[in-house]
Amino acid sequence: MERIIQGTPPSEVIAQLRKADGYYMTNTARDLSQSDFKNRILLHTDLLAAPSRERAGYFSLEITGGASIHVDILRKQVDPFLKLELLREKMPNTMFQTLCRGVNLFGYRPYPQNVIRFTVREFAKYVDVWRTFDFMNHVPNMQAVFEEVAKAGKINEPCICFSTGPEHTDEFYVKKVKEILDVTGTDVILCVKNHGGLGSPQRIGQLVNAIKQSYPDLPIHYHGHNTDGNDIGRIVAAVVNGASIIDASDSSMTGYYGPPPSLTVIQALKDQGYKAVGLDEEAVIETSEVIRDQRQYYQDFESQIKGFQPTVQIHKLPGGAMGSSLEQAAKGGFLDKMPDILHQELPRVQQELGNYWSVTPGSQILWTTAVANVQGGERYGNPSGDLRNLLLGKYGPFPFYQPEEWIYEKVLGADWKKVLEQEGGMDEIEDMDLDHERTILGKKIGHEPTDQQLVLYLQHPNDAVNFFKFEEEFGKVYVLPPAIFLHQGQFKVGKTLSFTDHHGKEHVIEIGPSMVNGDGETNVYLNVDHHQRIYSYAPEAKEGMAAAATVLSKEEIRTLANNGDIRAPFAGNICEISVKEGQEVAAGEQVATMEAMKMQTPVVSAIAGIVTTISVKVGDAIKPGAKIAKVDIDE
Amino acid sequence: MKKKILVANRGEIAIRIMRSIQELDYEAVAVYETPDKDSRHIRLASEAVLLGDGPRCDYLNIEKIIKAAKRTGACAIHPGYGFLAENPDFAKACEDAGIIFIGPSSEVISNLGNKVIARKIMADAGIPMVPGTQNLSTGEEGVQEALTFAGKIGYPLMLKATCGGGGRGIRLIESDVQMRKEIPVARAEAKAAFNDESVYLEKVVLNPKHVEVQIIADKEGTTIHLGTRDCSIQRRNQKLIEIAPSMIDNPELLERICQTAVKAAKASNYSNAGTVEFLIDKDYNYYFMEINTRVQVEHTVTEMITGIDIVRTQIKLAFGKPLSFAQKDIQLRGHAIEMRINAEDPQTDFMPEGGKTVSVYRSPGGYGVRLDGCVYQGYTIPQVYDSLLVKLTVHGFSWNETVSRVRRCLDNFEISGPKTTIPFYLNIVQDPDFIKGNFDTSFLENHPQLFEYKEEPNEAEKLSKLIAEIHHRGLNPYAQ
Repeated sequence: MERIIQGTPPSEVIAQLRKADGYYMTNTARDLSQSDFKNRILLHTDLLAAPSRERAGYFSLEITGGASIHVDILRKQVDPFLKLELLREKMPNTMFQTLCRGVNLFGYRPYPQNVIRFTVREFAKYVDVWRTFDFMNHVPNMQAVFEEVAKAGKINEPCICFSTGPEHTDEFYVKKVKEILDVTGTDVILCVKNHGGLGSPQRIGQLVNAIKQSYPDLPIHYHGHNTDGNDIGRIVAAVVNGASIIDASDSSMTGYYGPPPSLTVIQALKDQGYKAVGLDEEAVIETSEVIRDQRQYYQDFESQIKGFQPTVQIHKLPGGAMGSSLEQAAKGGFLDKMPDILHQELPRVQQELGNYWSVTPGSQILWTTAVANVQGGERYGNPSGDLRNLLLGKYGPFPFYQPEEWIYEKVLGADWKKVLEQEGGMDEIEDMDLDHERTILGKKIGHEPTDQQLVLYLQHPNDAVNFFKFEEEFGKVYVLPPAIFLHQGQFKVGKTLSFTDHHGKEHVIEIGPSMVNGDGETNVYLNVDHHQRIYSYAPEAKEGMAAAATVLSKEEIRTLANNGDIRAPFAGNICEISVKEGQEVAAGEQVATMEAMKMQTPVVSAIAGIVTTISVKVGDAIKPGAKIAKVDIDE
Repeated sequence: MKKKILVANRGEIAIRIMRSIQELDYEAVAVYETPDKDSRHIRLASEAVLLGDGPRCDYLNIEKIIKAAKRTGACAIHPGYGFLAENPDFAKACEDAGIIFIGPSSEVISNLGNKVIARKIMADAGIPMVPGTQNLSTGEEGVQEALTFAGKIGYPLMLKATCGGGGRGIRLIESDVQMRKEIPVARAEAKAAFNDESVYLEKVVLNPKHVEVQIIADKEGTTIHLGTRDCSIQRRNQKLIEIAPSMIDNPELLERICQTAVKAAKASNYSNAGTVEFLIDKDYNYYFMEINTRVQVEHTVTEMITGIDIVRTQIKLAFGKPLSFAQKDIQLRGHAIEMRINAEDPQTDFMPEGGKTVSVYRSPGGYGVRLDGCVYQGYTIPQVYDSLLVKLTVHGFSWNETVSRVRRCLDNFEISGPKTTIPFYLNIVQDPDFIKGNFDTSFLENHPQLFEYKEEPNEAEKLSKLIAEIHHRGLNPYAQ
């Protein structure tokens, strides 16, 4: 049997999968980066790996989607489209795969239909296989993506999100598969999306078998995470029971929460008599050797906590959220409370909120709620905006049962029934005026934007504009290896850094001395291709009173709030300011929205009065206790 | 003790003059205003006198400068260009104080500085001139004189301030109505700018070439010329690029113009170095415009093609020496082009970039290349003076060689910090009309594409900026 070559029509791909003697493998490099390196694996490394990954003969390379598009522009300063274009040049035969959050696309909140379709159309120019899911397994949430992918002549891979518990029966999932196939038709791949790496090998084998019993011709792609160290067991069980494609990635980079090492999977299945179709083992090994040396430069982004986490079966956090959750706990200083949060509160919240699937953005709602419940004292006392939306059914109906009434009351208030009646249910999101958005973006960046730029802007307006400006100032920085781009500390004076730029020109930069002048300004001297360049930096603001003053306790923040001094309750970004200076506000009225950990939370005024000062602007990253606004009691 | 010469100027021309002073084995005395305290012309001088806090007013203060010359024991003053260079009162003050003024006598400066007197001298000498009026009478009488003249010659006409110069105090008049309106405005403006409200009219020569002749005369009246210069490439009557000799392919005409210039100089009793400016229309008629009684910014191109050090000659002539060469000794060899590298942004109407610091300065060099500048790496461009950083003058055997040498030199410049006129000049030297030597005063107006260029740092410079920041902060702030 041969590998599947990029460009093969979807129906032929499906046909080939159906008659496959063995299994195919997807290299989930995107998930590896997201789960084990906080999404920081740079395009530079993926380009290094590209030639051998191309020769390895994977079914596909998952290299985009999920949180990666946001992180590409936010932290890696690389254009997600350019990334695909450059990889395609080096990997002409390998299909590219994405992970799409249905109506939430690559973000955290539902988008208008025309934005979804426009985005899918643009990405479908590069992406062959579309793995699409919805965290509520609510099929209508995925429909627009299905339709656009089919229209673009690409392969749909709808997901059933998998979890465990009494409600999560084979019967439920087989019915879900039917619901999906009723919409997509049968020429698709079905993904069993085990984002938490939950269940035993036996459980996964049984589920795959059940689906196969009902749909013998349906190719199944098993996706798992190795958080408990046992995903290879589940993969073997899935293949033995009829899965056609499985996920793994390059062993030299594998960690604790992402995909398991590909070579181990190949070896485990070989003895059972299952052949990896089209796979070149030597190229698989070579890839690991090529990128092994790069891992050291990513060490700061690896998990704070080392070791497998079999307790994932209790807390069910998806692999993709483990790294960022632990990072948040470390930064927030509550790593010591993690056992409480993960093993007690999170499972409890999950039960209380309907035992839905803990995956983006649902996993963030569960996590934030659990953290707030443990940290904030009163359970559900400080509900996030997204939790409110969840209860209002904005993401879709609860799959099994609704939360108990007391939770509704806590989150929506005493007259929750009325609120639910008036505001409940999924919103019809109005289409955006794309021409208008294009004009606005054009004004912000000073030239007519491309369709690709508009797509990125529609997803992440602030971050996209910042990225475009960054690129204008600093160029195409993907050419810098992690040894430079993620360098910590100063380079040695005299060190030469060499790289090849986007246009293929080689450059040498030699680090010269840094000198502080009388005004405290630092002049950094570099030799750029043998020409001296000087870069000046203003003196850093002294960490003094202002910085120290923002460290306030929860109680202090609450006391201040009752006096009209509204402070940030947690570290995050201001994503919206809802009031103007001089505006009257009622007690409980929203003054701003903050975002942290992908979750938006309203910041409200504790008192009625007049907004006298607004101390932040949209896009500001602020610390807990930072001033947001001041409200004076109107007398 | 060595003779001392005070240079009553700043910037590149002060440095240029000091070089010749030092080559003559004299000592140069600099003067400066406080904003110029880091200027290079101070460092080059053997002593420097602070005139005051300026800006500009102290460089224009005759009394202070004479005092500085006396205190330092300078026996002569070179005024450079601009500031007091063509102020007859300054020349007179020097004469009265027993200090040698390096330039013509105050009387000559005074006569030639007054356009009406100058025109009369030239008319008497039979020098061809653009048809024009005397100073217009004041009030309605003057307006009537103007309208009569307009009726005879036809519009458009130029209304000029008698004491104006350097492109200032000139307005284009296209109708009787406009004439009536503009005469009082022009008078008020002339009064404010030159303390003399006299104005006169001149016929407009459409799209002329601006050609001038360098002349040199000793005190005995021996007067020779150093050939022509073409200064047609101007913006708003300010010269940007100067070329020697003129590219007009008519040696007989150019020779006639040069002879006319000598005649004009003699008619005005000229001594020392000066420039006779002419306009040439498309039918090769030429008209006298004015005589500049100073060393010109663009004197360098003439030096390049003649081998004569004009400033050195000026000093010797001022000290009473006769000319040490005759007209027959003057051979024009090859071509020279001078470009004023200014800290200005051509794309925003040449907005000066004052206040910015030149963080990197690298200059071209090599055969046929001359630089006269005041810029250095680390130089902060004063906001209160002109924005000239350095004059690039190149010499070449053929016109093509000269143009390609300029292009190479412009490419070799590396200036970071302020925007400069370099990318704009790079467009000019690649323009087919320029390469053919085909340009007149409408050149920039008719070639708007010269202003189209994108100044973008190259990819390595952009990336190195990020590397510098990672290095400086100890982490990549855009990857956190």
